Amino acid sequence: MSALQRIAAVARAEWTRLRRTRIALTLLLAVPLLQIALFGTAIRPDAAVAVAIAAPSASDAESVAKELQNQRNIAVVAKGKPGSAEALVKRSDAVIGIEVPEARSFANPLAKGGPLRIVVDESNAALAAAATARIEAAYWRTLAQRADLAGPGLQTVRLYNPASRADWSFLPGLIGVTVMIAMIMLGSLSLAQERESGTWETLLILPLGRGEVLLGKLLPYVVVGTIQGLAVMAAGLWLFDLPARGNAASLAAILPLFAAAHLVLGYAIAARARTQLAALQGAVAFYLPAMLLSGFLYPFATLPGWAQAIGNVFPLTHFIRAATGVMLRGEGTGEVLAHALPIALFTLVTAALAALFQARASA
Amino acid sequence: MTEPLVNVSGLAKAFSGRDAVRDVSIRVGAGDVLGLVGANGGGKTTTLRMLAGLIAPDAGSGTVLGSRIGARMGTGRMDRRRIGYMSQRLALYSELSVLENLRFHAQVHGLPAAAASAALARHGCETVAAQRFGTLSGGWARRVQFAASVIHAPTLLLLDEPTAGLDIVTRKALWDWIAAFAATGSAVIVSTHDLAEAGQLPQIMLYRGGQASAQTTPAQVMRLAGARSLEAAVLAEAGA
Repeated sequence: MSALQRIAAVARAEWTRLRRTRIALTLLLAVPLLQIALFGTAIRPDAAVAVAIAAPSASDAESVAKELQNQRNIAVVAKGKPGSAEALVKRSDAVIGIEVPEARSFANPLAKGGPLRIVVDESNAALAAAATARIEAAYWRTLAQRADLAGPGLQTVRLYNPASRADWSFLPGLIGVTVMIAMIMLGSLSLAQERESGTWETLLILPLGRGEVLLGKLLPYVVVGTIQGLAVMAAGLWLFDLPARGNAASLAAILPLFAAAHLVLGYAIAARARTQLAALQGAVAFYLPAMLLSGFLYPFATLPGWAQAIGNVFPLTHFIRAATGVMLRGEGTGEVLAHALPIALFTLVTAALAALFQARASA
Repeated sequence: MTEPLVNVSGLAKAFSGRDAVRDVSIRVGAGDVLGLVGANGGGKTTTLRMLAGLIAPDAGSGTVLGSRIGARMGTGRMDRRRIGYMSQRLALYSELSVLENLRFHAQVHGLPAAAASAALARHGCETVAAQRFGTLSGGWARRVQFAASVIHAPTLLLLDEPTAGLDIVTRKALWDWIAAFAATGSAVIVSTHDLAEAGQLPQIMLYRGGQASAQTTPAQVMRLAGARSLEAAVLAEAGA
């Protein structure tokens, strides 16, 4: 038999194995399909940025909106009272607020006047940069068209991230992404490995409740996940000068919950998967869309409604909101706890699913 | 026989529509050693897993250590403090040392750490106490696994192919321990496909294709088949 024939024999056997391993096939087909579906339909980096206009009168607001209506990727979502632009941005009603000054005129000599203010939420620098530049360009173009180059002047106020540092935008999310990937992998692979080696069966025959087993297994990994999250957080604070304007302790306090959510999910995946390869596939199939739809890789605001609905299921989405809130926006314990609530709900539902899958796998 | 520790009848289990066990009935009491004997895939492991409460039977009824067993009972109601189970696989933590594995089992059963050292000594495993379980040879691993499964002195001991693939010395040691353990008043149900070993057991059940014979003695099987050994009797019964 020639070397070529021997290689062909090995390849034939491997091909047959591959065809008969449903999981491997799913890995090869489903993940690329998922990526195509998400990148093709949900991820729109050029999606419109929400803009709010605060003007002295409805007609002033309308005229600014008219100037912007032909601007690509800008959507006027709110019109507010004078002086409300910053509040609208801080309330997250819009990414950019335009404060139109009261114009001095013969009829209104006491108007305060002042520059046109553009208030930008820079917590996601990538999202705001292009839109801000377009609004500024539209302003100057309008003045040029009116041959009024003096104009009221333009002032851009950058909230939360005055230097528009790109690293400040993604570092809070990186804390969550790091912990999420590690915990799903550890949870799913460790349990799948136990099932394959038979030690899981040994555990089941011991006088331990399923809850006791789950909690006992969770604890060490929760500690590891928390330390990991704290390490990334510390690196952000000391190496990248993240300002931590809010209550960093409350963010640290929800790290164990965030880690537990993904460990429990890993256990649910492993209970369904039965093998380590399948568990790995399940882990990837979860964290890939989580990274895409949570606001980590692409701004959450640019996702279509259905993708935002899915994105809101992922604990990472809420953790990123909490982390960005604490690090950049100065959010306190109350806001962080509000972000933690959906994570806790996710953990409870996933724990119930893990128990159900485990019971079915044992039947 | 005193009050039976295991008294089940009509146990059945199918996986993916294929019968793994059909109509199996078992009755054992304190001090009994029952061998489940037959080829691989005959249904012995499935029977042991049902008795251990690891899987629920599809049909059948009865009691195991006073707990009811049956299709509607599910799993998890067994008194696991009184059951010892030794899997066919080397199912202890490979990253933990022998002593750490035994300590874990002792702690879960509410025993002091000294129970682990005592189990080591009882089963001649002191020399490998510090060694990681995953690095042990098959013979040592089986010894340690047996020590772990009896560390809490269970009332019912279920052993799945404990001597498969072992050298003669380790096999003899394990059978001696099994006999000694039964002598303390516990019941032992042990599966094996080794007919020479099965021939030495007081009671056996012959498994074939998911069905099991009634409990009998090796001598009775040989007498009915007119054979001089259990091996010859089984071969004759199989038409080989």
